[in-house]
Amino acid sequence: MGYKVKLDIFEGPFDLLVHLIERAEMSIYDIRVSEITDQYIAYLEDLKRMDVAVAGEFMVLAATLIELKSRMLLPRMQSAETDAEMEDPRQELVEKLLEYKRFKAAAAQLEIREAENLRRFVKPQEDLSVYTENPEEILNVDIAQFMKAFRLFLQRKQKIEEVHKRYDRQKRERMSIEDRIVQMKNLFTGKKKFSFRELLGGETSRYNVILTFLSLLELMRQRSITVRQDVNFGQMTITVKDPKEKTGDVPAESEA
Amino acid sequence: MTSKQTIKSAFESMLFVWGDPLDVKVAAELFNIHWKEAYSIFLELKNEYEQQGRGIRIREIDKSFQFYSWEANSDYIERLCTPVKEKRLSQSAMEVLAIVAYKQPVTKGEIESIRGIKCDKVIEGLTKKDLIEEVGRSPGIGRPILYGTTKTFLKNFGFKDLKELPDIENIDEVIREEEYKNSDVHPEQISLEMFGADDTAE
Repeated sequence: MGYKVKLDIFEGPFDLLVHLIERAEMSIYDIRVSEITDQYIAYLEDLKRMDVAVAGEFMVLAATLIELKSRMLLPRMQSAETDAEMEDPRQELVEKLLEYKRFKAAAAQLEIREAENLRRFVKPQEDLSVYTENPEEILNVDIAQFMKAFRLFLQRKQKIEEVHKRYDRQKRERMSIEDRIVQMKNLFTGKKKFSFRELLGGETSRYNVILTFLSLLELMRQRSITVRQDVNFGQMTITVKDPKEKTGDVPAESEA
Repeated sequence: MTSKQTIKSAFESMLFVWGDPLDVKVAAELFNIHWKEAYSIFLELKNEYEQQGRGIRIREIDKSFQFYSWEANSDYIERLCTPVKEKRLSQSAMEVLAIVAYKQPVTKGEIESIRGIKCDKVIEGLTKKDLIEEVGRSPGIGRPILYGTTKTFLKNFGFKDLKELPDIENIDEVIREEEYKNSDVHPEQISLEMFGADDTAE
């Protein structure tokens, strides 16, 4: 159990350390290692007490600090043995902290730039397809050519109109589902059982077959007929229902 | 040969229609002139807008130019239409971005060593936002990915090019100055104290 709380205040172990150093008003070049290590570890302990999972990286720096503390306690050798200047054990840490501070400061600068730039507005790229698609075609002809082209255009238009007339007539000839139903209902007054082929009556054009079939479907929906087909692609038998029975019809039959 | 005045006027119209940053090279090709010539014409145009104190200004991003509304007028624009503001970057994202911007090309390892903490998520986020991108592979062990900033970075932060980044060495000075203010330690003393080595006494 317990709550998981993510503390975003410190961006990393260096961030925490820099904060502690600044709070203690220490110079980064002269860190009082012992003091700062105690504070650092105390902070981590606080976090743990509050049941906050402390990231491993924070522990690594704690270990580094403790190591540094112990090294600071050791008496320093006089530089006689080595020609090189005695190195402050804190040097490496200071350099790391300085580099971190540099980028923290740089980040702050970027933030200012970002805020500034948010006050500049630009137009998004517009949809230029209006200009780039369907470019206008330029007519490069003299008047005689243009006249000829226009005459041709008129002739073509006339032809098309003629075709349209014929096309329209054909369309009128074609029967609608409603008409076909009326036609078939007339047939039904006599005989009560038909095969599909009989209904077609020899008119086996694609249009008529489809028209008749669609009309049958419509009649089935209206429950005026039942259709039976024993095998796939086999003969369809259409039975006309007695109009009196129509209301008391069992739906299952029409769905079969 | 098209006159310079005509080209300048044409560039202005092109900037208006294009909206996005217009590449100087693209513009130069349309007039068959050298890109440097086009560049100087764009700069002239940019200066004219500034000198006349116009509400629309021209900015330069990585050898392209774009119209933008002058920042001093942002309040009025917000009164007019409340533009959607982009979400600002988090502190950690900003830190990583700063490291990439200044140290590019840089590996994830180097970034993490500076920040002392893992940065996978942040790097992923910045990549998704198109602020940083893979720019190659380091020849080092495992050939780690090298990261660099993008043109979007320049655009979003209002930089003409990377040379415009605030001088990081100056930042060093700022830190030092702060140090002087906070403590009375002077550089000479620092080196002396390093040998004094008695600060661990409790």
